[in-house]
Amino acid sequence: MQAPSPCVYLDYAATTPVDPLVAARMAECLGRDGVFGNPGSTSHDYGEAASERVEAARAQVAATVGAEPAEVIWTSGATEANNLAIFGVAHYYRATGRHIVTVRTEHKAVLDPCRELERRGWRVTYLVPDRGGVLDPAQVVAALRPDTVLLSIMHVNNEIGVIQDIAAIAALCAQSGRAWLHVDAAQSVGKCEVNFAALGVDLLSLSAHKTYGPKGVGALLVSRRRGVQLEPLQYGGGQERALRSGTVATHQVVGMGAAFALAKSALRHETERIALLQDRLWQGLVSLGGVLRNGAGARSVPHLLNVSFEGVEGESLLAAIRPHIAVSTGSACMSIHQEPSYVLRALGRDDRLAESSLRFSLGRFSNEADIDTAVAVVTHAVERLRRIGGA
Amino acid sequence: MKYNELTRRYFENAPGAGVLVGPGIYRGAAGSRNQGTWVQFEVQVDLHARVTIVQVARFLALACPHVIAVSAWVTERAVGLEVKDQLPESVQSLRERFAVPVEKLGRLLIVEDAWIAAAYAAGAPRLGSAATGE
Repeated sequence: MQAPSPCVYLDYAATTPVDPLVAARMAECLGRDGVFGNPGSTSHDYGEAASERVEAARAQVAATVGAEPAEVIWTSGATEANNLAIFGVAHYYRATGRHIVTVRTEHKAVLDPCRELERRGWRVTYLVPDRGGVLDPAQVVAALRPDTVLLSIMHVNNEIGVIQDIAAIAALCAQSGRAWLHVDAAQSVGKCEVNFAALGVDLLSLSAHKTYGPKGVGALLVSRRRGVQLEPLQYGGGQERALRSGTVATHQVVGMGAAFALAKSALRHETERIALLQDRLWQGLVSLGGVLRNGAGARSVPHLLNVSFEGVEGESLLAAIRPHIAVSTGSACMSIHQEPSYVLRALGRDDRLAESSLRFSLGRFSNEADIDTAVAVVTHAVERLRRIGGA
Repeated sequence: MKYNELTRRYFENAPGAGVLVGPGIYRGAAGSRNQGTWVQFEVQVDLHARVTIVQVARFLALACPHVIAVSAWVTERAVGLEVKDQLPESVQSLRERFAVPVEKLGRLLIVEDAWIAAAYAAGAPRLGSAATGE
């Protein structure tokens, strides 16, 4: 099945295409004439060459996010990084305490591990942000208990784009001196500044494929400053400081390194350009009337715009626009059932508005023509469905 | 969600969407906008005929593509038929024709309720509404 070329892609928060420069670097590590060796086999030149590429990529990722190379632990993606952080801290410090604090609007890759820990006897406090999706740092501190071992709070929300004030939360958390702070930053790199050291967090999850890198690779940053310890999820080889055993996928991490280096160099220009596109999109949509923005726009990355449309049914809206534009909806399709977005519901949207919401996420290859197409398609669909619905 | 060709065609074209004006128009509705599915039918009949025949039918629907498609099909198919308290085709048959997932059966029953409400209204000797919905 070929890619739907006439369809405008505005779902960059779900995943991004691999940048051609990144793909070229990855290809160098695949073939017989390339750097295909096992980076752990440093007894010969093949392995040595691969190891050099892996460490160069580690340095690229570290430099992009203000970390030391030794703090970068390769994983298969942000989901594994989140699992390693949450289960790793919970199990290592289980004798210290069994309480975790997180937020209702976190990604499932954080919420599901927390639910699993609850089943195993841990207690979890789920904080509720304000209607804009913003968390008050004082809320976090208030939730800390003597037995709290971990806070897990995302940096940029994947549905509404809101940026949490992680530095303020980290400062208050450090003052309390009780718990380790983990941050899911899967949506952050290339969209806003990320500085691991300056943020003052202990653990930070990263993904490559949200930043024009390959799927199947990510990293967990483990701070050496405060000395957080983790119990690994898997054993067998002791790679990655024994925190993530298994042969490192050279081509994948090389791709992530190249993608992050590109993201760092392009950040300012891309962010300014995409902010203009997002404004063009919002101005086009809001003129429809009955259009509500989800999330605090002033505290958001410009790459995401989440809006609810009054007077239309969500599934019909998606069916009407799907042939023309690729976006995410406010409902998670669980087989046949559609569940309204738990993030939008946590912000106070009712089920109908949550279901009739669309998440537009813009990226490196978005342009004005894409935005104008999206506005035209959505305008036509909403006006038509409102007429059919008698609105 | 995948839709069959018939559903896509009737959803995209929505023949019969709208409202009627003039004499001999009867209306019925079912469902709830707040619950996410609401359907209204209007039928126009010849007030002087011995048997009440649907001359024109229209619908409005705040609903999923399946419900919009089925409602559009019903308004088209009902023209020329005697007004009865049943759809031109059974709910089960419509479900198969439009490949409606079984989980959505309740939504087709809302279409049926709206149609029956309009039919009851048309059977009465006065212009009025027998809305069971909002």
